[in-house]
Amino acid sequence: MIGQSEKILRINLTTGTISTEILPDDFYRLYPGGKALAGYILLNELPANTPAFSPDNVLVFANGLLTGAPVSTATRYVVSAKSPLTDGYGESEAAGFWGPELKMAGYEAIIVKGKAEKPVTIWVDEEQVEIRSAEHLWGKPTEEVQTIIRQEMNDDKIRVLQIGPAGENLVRFAGITNDLRHFNGRNGMGAVMGSKNLRAIAVRGNQRYQGKAVAPDRLMGLGRKLAKAVRENPLSWDLQNRGTPGIVEPLNQGGILPTRNFQQGVFENVDAIIWEAYEKELLTARKSCYACAVRCKREVSLDGEVSPYGGPEYETIGAFGPNCGVGDLQAIARANELCNAYMLDSISTGATIAFAMECFEHGLITMEDTGGIDLRFGNADAMLAMIEQIALRQGLGDLLAEGSRRAAEKIGGDAPFFAMHVKGQELAMHEARGKYNVGMGYAISEIGADHLVVAHDPALANPDSITFKSALPLGIENAAPVRSLNAEKMKHFYILEKWGSFEKVVGLCFFGPAPRSFIHPDEVLEAVNSATGWQLEIPDLLKIGERATNMARLFNLREGFMRKDDTLPERIFQPLENGPLKGESYPRAEFQQALTTLYTLKGWNPESGVPTRSLLEDLSLEWAIPLIAEIES
Amino acid sequence: MKLHAGGYLAFFLPDRTSPVEFPLDHPVLLKDILEQLRVPISEIQMVSLNGSQVDWNALLVSDSDVVHIISAVDGG
Repeated sequence: MIGQSEKILRINLTTGTISTEILPDDFYRLYPGGKALAGYILLNELPANTPAFSPDNVLVFANGLLTGAPVSTATRYVVSAKSPLTDGYGESEAAGFWGPELKMAGYEAIIVKGKAEKPVTIWVDEEQVEIRSAEHLWGKPTEEVQTIIRQEMNDDKIRVLQIGPAGENLVRFAGITNDLRHFNGRNGMGAVMGSKNLRAIAVRGNQRYQGKAVAPDRLMGLGRKLAKAVRENPLSWDLQNRGTPGIVEPLNQGGILPTRNFQQGVFENVDAIIWEAYEKELLTARKSCYACAVRCKREVSLDGEVSPYGGPEYETIGAFGPNCGVGDLQAIARANELCNAYMLDSISTGATIAFAMECFEHGLITMEDTGGIDLRFGNADAMLAMIEQIALRQGLGDLLAEGSRRAAEKIGGDAPFFAMHVKGQELAMHEARGKYNVGMGYAISEIGADHLVVAHDPALANPDSITFKSALPLGIENAAPVRSLNAEKMKHFYILEKWGSFEKVVGLCFFGPAPRSFIHPDEVLEAVNSATGWQLEIPDLLKIGERATNMARLFNLREGFMRKDDTLPERIFQPLENGPLKGESYPRAEFQQALTTLYTLKGWNPESGVPTRSLLEDLSLEWAIPLIAEIES
Repeated sequence: MKLHAGGYLAFFLPDRTSPVEFPLDHPVLLKDILEQLRVPISEIQMVSLNGSQVDWNALLVSDSDVVHIISAVDGG
């Protein structure tokens, strides 16, 4: 049954040992997969201050409670380890097919420790688990590796999770892909995998989720209802119709489309990269993740051939388009292909190149440094060349492969001002000066600048809107302005962060539950209870999310992070240069006050940001109480 | 008048298609056009007229105008 006798797979690549473990039922109720399970394992099994590339780093692949359920958007899994980009708690989620397949193979999680002597893959076919040589795969692009693995196993339905050459080369923002089109992009989890000489994990399974659900008919009925609802709700309809590329134009209209390394909020060549251009120039089909009716993924054609890697999402368009000053959709699509073939996080890659472009324009990086590449904003060829250099750690790319924070420290001068990161991770393509709680999310997220901590501010700005009303069951009471950090906004943040964290625990995509999309909180609750029979209420779901967030927070505090690390790049406190928000900055003093308010709401020490003993007791994290003294000493 | 619907607002337009051409022989309140189209006012977060954000409460639009109405837009 779901929630009972959940099994995890443990693999030590140094010794070659493979074992399975059954999670106690009462344990799983507190840590029902995903972010919660990963956080618990990292806090308890990874010694403090272990270097990210040490064989002792612990790499966790964790499904959520609902991953693989026959309910749209229940497709996600978490990859977690100490991050080589932030040196803190590392985490990245992906959808697609690999997580559901791992669930069908009978596993809730895979925990990888140690380091293989030579490159390997892991092959999981339910009870049969093998470590196999990957020496013949090392150095090859992701498409070729997936093809070889499927051919070797004589099965084209095998789900392949893998890194690319960027992960092999320990690029600190290397990602992980599954099925070539779904990405654990953020936080450098691909580099951790590469540091263990682990190229891929291929999975096959046949145990359907509904066969293990407590109330399968109820769950299937909910799945059918939600599949119909996708096209009846404007938010999910839009995700299906245009997908994330649809937000380029409205963000530009609002003056919050990050442009030229966040100097501006309006891009003058936006018409070349908006949805209408994408649909005309690139789009060939709309695709889906496992059992998901939203179908928000795009398939595109480049030079007359369908790309095996899918089409660029908004974040990729933003990072390689306006943020690099490039108004060329073909070049952006090519950048997307390169990132996915080498398996780089497209957000950090684009943002780091934008950082380098600004350094170049200020003379901090010279033509000599670039090997003759004219690395100015708007030079698409230079941008594409830098992607390859980063992935292969060639030339200037070797420095940029360290991420913008480390590169800026080496370059010196004004370079740190141009590095748009929090805790070492580059900002996603959302302008905090126009969405204040997005800024708070960047600042406080345990993984560094993350745009998926809370639903974005406009969702709760109008009390009559669909999005606001859909958030009422979560405990949201009053609307609040988009550009405000008042007490009401901090309440929004406090509640929505728990909800977002819960989604990462149970394996729901950000594009499923309200207020971001179409699944009402009561329907999320029904899915959990139909799967497990636990009879939870919405506050119980929020507490699951809160517990996971606090474990990640404790991990970072143990590594030496402090309140001063919960901040934003200096540029965000400076005025935007153009557009409707020209002259507007993120309010520095209000931010500090809001941070104190938020810490207090969260049950953290308002000065230090350390969770209090009473909070840990309330979250059933008594075992973590000794960490408070350790951190405060 | 050309009306572009950003975010999820195209859902409410005829045939769920944006942009919509709306011939006008005299200036009309944008609010009246949106009511006629049954676009819920509560879902509009921002309006821009010919490229500039405007307070649209009493906005009159003419045949040559390009109007963008935009809903809440979230992350991608």
